[in-house]
Amino acid sequence: MHDPLTGAAANRRQFLALAGLGALAASGALAGCSDPKASGPGTTSQSELSKILPNYIPNTAVTPDVAGVQGANGAVSDAVFLKYPSSPVKTVASMPGKGGTYTTMTPLWGAIPPSSGNGYYDAVNAALGITLKMQPADGNTYGDKLPPLFAADKLPDWIQIPGWNTATLNFGQAVSKFVDLSPFLAGDKIKDYPNLANIPGGAWQAGVWNGKLYGLPVYPGGAGITGTYFFRRDIFEKLGINPDSIKTPDDLAALGKQLTSTSAGQWAFDDLVGDDAAYASQLFHFPNRWGVDDAGKLIHKYESPGLIEALNWHAKLVKDGVVHPDAVAGKNQDAKQRFWSGKVTVNSDGTGAWNGDDAKSGTAANPAYRRGAFKLMSSKGAPTVELQPGAGMFAYLNAKLSGDQVKELLAVANYLAAPYGSAEWLVVNYGKENETYTMKEGNPVLTERGGKEVATSFQFLVTPPTPTTVQSGFVDVAKDYGAWQGDMVKYAVKPLFFAMNITEPSQYSSIGQAVKDTMKDVKVGRKPISAFEDAVKAWRSQGGDALRSFYDDIRNKFGTGQ
Amino acid sequence: MTVHESAPAKPALIAVEEAGREALPAGRSRRGLSRWGKVKRDRSLLLMTLPAVLLLVVFSYVPMFGTVTAFQAYDIFNGFAGSPWVGFSQFQRLFTDPIFWHALQNTLVLSGVQLVLYFPIPIALALLLNSIMSSKVRSLVQGIVYLPHFFSWVLVVTIFQSVLGGAGPLNSYLREHGMATWDIMTNPETFKYLVTAQAIWKEAGWGIIVFLAALAAIDQNLYEAAAADGAGRWRRLWHITLPGMRGVIVLLLVLRLGNALTVGFEQMLVQRDAVGRDASEVLDTFTYYYGVVGNNFSYGAAAGLFKGVLSLVLILAANKVAHMFGEDGLYRR
Repeated sequence: MHDPLTGAAANRRQFLALAGLGALAASGALAGCSDPKASGPGTTSQSELSKILPNYIPNTAVTPDVAGVQGANGAVSDAVFLKYPSSPVKTVASMPGKGGTYTTMTPLWGAIPPSSGNGYYDAVNAALGITLKMQPADGNTYGDKLPPLFAADKLPDWIQIPGWNTATLNFGQAVSKFVDLSPFLAGDKIKDYPNLANIPGGAWQAGVWNGKLYGLPVYPGGAGITGTYFFRRDIFEKLGINPDSIKTPDDLAALGKQLTSTSAGQWAFDDLVGDDAAYASQLFHFPNRWGVDDAGKLIHKYESPGLIEALNWHAKLVKDGVVHPDAVAGKNQDAKQRFWSGKVTVNSDGTGAWNGDDAKSGTAANPAYRRGAFKLMSSKGAPTVELQPGAGMFAYLNAKLSGDQVKELLAVANYLAAPYGSAEWLVVNYGKENETYTMKEGNPVLTERGGKEVATSFQFLVTPPTPTTVQSGFVDVAKDYGAWQGDMVKYAVKPLFFAMNITEPSQYSSIGQAVKDTMKDVKVGRKPISAFEDAVKAWRSQGGDALRSFYDDIRNKFGTGQ
Repeated sequence: MTVHESAPAKPALIAVEEAGREALPAGRSRRGLSRWGKVKRDRSLLLMTLPAVLLLVVFSYVPMFGTVTAFQAYDIFNGFAGSPWVGFSQFQRLFTDPIFWHALQNTLVLSGVQLVLYFPIPIALALLLNSIMSSKVRSLVQGIVYLPHFFSWVLVVTIFQSVLGGAGPLNSYLREHGMATWDIMTNPETFKYLVTAQAIWKEAGWGIIVFLAALAAIDQNLYEAAAADGAGRWRRLWHITLPGMRGVIVLLLVLRLGNALTVGFEQMLVQRDAVGRDASEVLDTFTYYYGVVGNNFSYGAAAGLFKGVLSLVLILAANKVAHMFGEDGLYRR
């Protein structure tokens, strides 16, 4: 697996020149800043980083059916496996745990499984030789639960915190509640944990705060993006629509009338903007956080002209009556059901939505169900897509643990990080054979009991590099997704402050709320675009401009991470 | 917590028996008791209130110390002791925040609409229910109107959305028959009536319990005597039933006014995206979004404290009005 972050230090002046030419995609091997400070509000200079990051020692025991595709700017698509190796290798010689009991907390986007009498939890814990008390919590409101947890000092022993939640948590300071893992894992020390060493250095980078390594990477990958636009491939095929002919937002909008049949309870689109305009940013070329304008000045997403285009575009769709009324009413938690049942034909979602489990739910609603994703669309010129750090979520160990306890948990982490194709991976992801899963046509499939008890939980504590695999027996889904991702990575660009872990001053943590609220009003046409412009004006004076100079400072001291 | 809840339970039970035994001698020596004597006399009653007092202390008074954060720039990592004092600057920011004033305005408007449209409904329902003679029919009706009380707001809003929403049967029917659709769930202008309708559907049935109890306490002989004197149905209602319920109605009205600034947090939260912030932001959601979610606890605490003070003023004023009308209100003057 290629490490997407090697040699990515950016020289500011050179970067500005490149940005001025609109050639963001071309940043090659650049020199670091001349006078780098070691670490700042959360972030770490490139020279410090190289001392802390664990060395990458890839495990080559299993070869994928389709190798990862090398894309632009260090992006690389996930390898594709169509069959689980028939004789899985063992990567951990002895039982890692020493019988300790630890509490955990992980997010979960799905039904929370029973905690007592859960055969899956018991099977994994038995293999680990340890008792990890799993406490999955609703992923949609996870970020709201974290501040009170820190405030009450009730952190569990091992907790997962998604990268998008650290921004409002004053995380540069918060990490002091967690164990500094650099003495255990930096450089060659990681050799004690060969499965952790199989995770590329780039994946660890966003787990580094203030010059120390704190986070264990969760779902590392070289092609992480915010999300994309999906369509019902079966419906498109029936209507004879060629998805490759849809290249711009206007092309997409033009499908609206054809795909809407209100008498049948069918609408063309779900919400296509996304929370905080996360999905529309790719479509309309605006940054997800900060970008630069033609003069090299930092501009926030809220100030980008592309965002206004996106809001206008979506408000028109709503006005034309081609967006499902429940989506207009903000009932986003039912978006998947609407898509599965065919009440909506096109929606936006995270790329994680495209897997065998989705096909299982979809075909249960309609046997012909097949998900497809448009090739990247663009409002002008060639499409681009912002690459996310090598891992978007990290898990942390509580600083109250003793050194021995930390070592025990790292040994457990080494087991949990066993790569795809190993015997341990099957245990961690599926539990016990013939109880929670069975092998079917060379791939593991959950049993009825497994369907109730197995949930993504241990994987959120640390995850090996994640290939695209066959789930629930849907081989085509793995192939479709692999092919789409292999094309997508060609358009990847690194956003400003890529994987830099910057802690914003906490007094600005709530200034974005009013803008987000107004965006929701504007995108469904409840308020005119001028209301949004007013909200952005207020945002600037309440701290947006101060944030800009804060980030200008970061850019001067540490570069842009590109 | 469990210690507080369970420990006093047993003594309280014993106390009930003792209270029964000692009722007479206590009544006889009413005057001239020392303070200790009064405590001794009322010990069983005091014991009975103990669990409730403990709950109040643990869950209301102790957390009240948290309001000091309203005068700090509270940081979750430094705690109460380590956070700097900023005096009234959180309040200064609050009072110059148009979003806060808008939330307060929304809260008052919603409260007013609910007072006018919601408050009389349980009284009317109780009167209607009371006039049903067949006890079977009565308990059936009661069961049906109680039921929605046990639904969560998420469920109630989902039911409303799937029936009255843009993709629900009502609008599908209108569309099929070539009529204009009726935008009920996402219209910010009529949102206040929508939430009141939801509140009535969910809570009105439950609200009749107290009124039914008040009705049961009215002496049946009065009705018979009035009927014998030739009073009709409406006269009996006006001269016997309503005066009999007046004390309870006034008490509930006073309590309702004290709660005027609490108009349903969850209900607003789950419908926020449907109608937008302008229509749905109330004080509680303001505190949540700008305090808890934004990790700005001091700001949220300032908004919460302001709401508490305002509620206290309201409840005292309402109580005063109740006294002016010769009712007990919250306590006897």
